[in-house]
Amino acid sequence: MSELVIDADVGVVGAGPGGMAAATRLAEAGLRVTVLDEGARAGGQIYRQLPDGVAASVGILEPPSHDHGHLMTRGFEGAELRRVHGATVWDAKPGRLWFEHEGRSRLLRCQRIVLAPGAYDRCIPFPGWTLPGVVTAGALQVMVRGFGVVPGKRALVVGSGPLLLPTVTALLGAGVEVVAALEASSRWRALRAAPGVIGNAARRREAVWYMKQLWRHGVKLQWGWTVFACEGGDRVQRAVIGRIDGQGRPKRGTERTIEVDVVGAGFGLVPSTELGLRLGAEARYLPERGGHCVIVDDEQRTAEPSVYAAGEICGIGGAEVAAAEGALCAAAILRELRGDAVAPAVLRAARAERRAADAMLRAFSPLPGLSELARPDTIVCRCEDVTRLGAQQAAEVHGESMRAIKLGCRAGMGPCQARICGPSLQAMATGDGACVMDRPVVQVPLKAVRAATIQNAPEAC
Amino acid sequence: MSGRLPGVGDREVIEFTFEGAAVTAYAGDSLAMALWAAEIPAVRGSSTAGEPRGVLCNMGICYECLVIVDGETVRSCTTLVRAGMNVERGGLR
Repeated sequence: MSELVIDADVGVVGAGPGGMAAATRLAEAGLRVTVLDEGARAGGQIYRQLPDGVAASVGILEPPSHDHGHLMTRGFEGAELRRVHGATVWDAKPGRLWFEHEGRSRLLRCQRIVLAPGAYDRCIPFPGWTLPGVVTAGALQVMVRGFGVVPGKRALVVGSGPLLLPTVTALLGAGVEVVAALEASSRWRALRAAPGVIGNAARRREAVWYMKQLWRHGVKLQWGWTVFACEGGDRVQRAVIGRIDGQGRPKRGTERTIEVDVVGAGFGLVPSTELGLRLGAEARYLPERGGHCVIVDDEQRTAEPSVYAAGEICGIGGAEVAAAEGALCAAAILRELRGDAVAPAVLRAARAERRAADAMLRAFSPLPGLSELARPDTIVCRCEDVTRLGAQQAAEVHGESMRAIKLGCRAGMGPCQARICGPSLQAMATGDGACVMDRPVVQVPLKAVRAATIQNAPEAC
Repeated sequence: MSGRLPGVGDREVIEFTFEGAAVTAYAGDSLAMALWAAEIPAVRGSSTAGEPRGVLCNMGICYECLVIVDGETVRSCTTLVRAGMNVERGGLR
């Protein structure tokens, strides 16, 4: 790509289901669309594709819903629009998206922006979670489905929520022995998800498929269990697992040690909101939807009228929600720029998918007692090597706000900018696992890019 | 420990070095996945204690897999392998 400045009618951030749905529809309607995506190929995290040129027949075990996702990806890749992969967006204002791509500083100018940046795994610190080989559940899926890499020989999958299942099946398909699969929610709590699953034909089919796969491979999901600690040298070698109570508090004395060489931990997802906040969107703390979520009106518009948002950024909901909301973003933009009416079916689909997802995910909202897993010497901020004790002392001296804790001990000030420690930092520092977290502080650059990228930005930010 | 799914290796082979030792990878691999498949999960030293760290999120969020490629610090999970890359552990700042 040679240009440093691209002009488009609509700029879309993210090529997962939300971004793809919006972009494809807008392009089909004849608008000039450019999509900025950090991944090497379209599909986002959920519909990850293997690298170009690798036969699809390598035996990736995926649920039936992914067939539809891969079809959607084909449609997106065939649409007449501009796809920029490997693009890291580091600043934005209405009508402008600054990004780094192929080592160059570039700018996208557009009339409307659609944000579909997705989400990332919620991490909960526990002793040994910094050991190499202990990764997020999402990381394991990327390994297998995105790169065809076999993560290890003996795996532990731990966390909470529907995403544990595709993690387990991806490992099983890759021939990895899943030594244990631990869901933090109790069976009773998880039953609250049942109406959302049973009432939706696609979700029901999916649930049956997962049950069949687990049964075929002899893997039993253990409810009300989690990881207490990981041990090893340069790589994880053992995990201590145990029972937790209904609040997530570890029941000491129930521990069991298992030999593993890879651990995938995913305690739900956190919406990626920073780009929305930077652009002037409002956010609200909704624990059942993963934390701070960008607020949109009934046509997916944020508080900044030229910026729309779809999918996980508005609260965790999954691929179907994202696709439906992405389609609604496209319809709303076409109405605004072209005067086309928004089809009632598009509106209805987005609302119905969101309602169903909310009903299901309520059963897996974060358990406050899990914050008791971390010991005083457990690292909470991995970028700056801040321990739980360090964060507690900072809170005692400087106050319990996110800002005070960060300034007091540097937690959250490293390159990840609190994306990893932020969702649990105040709980770690105050000991209150159920506390309402402060809104994330958004700093530019939104992601760590080269100084030259900022210096050489086309147009000042 | 780790390896590749069958058929994934039918690609152009690429060689690079990590801490001076030769590593074999395939075109389209991220640096993080090439190192992981080569049994090198620890790619960085933590910022103050220098403890071994490696991939956490594998999607460009966490910056735990930082390495130095030809003198420049990059996320190994979002950087594709190129022949002849000279890769060193990311580390103490």
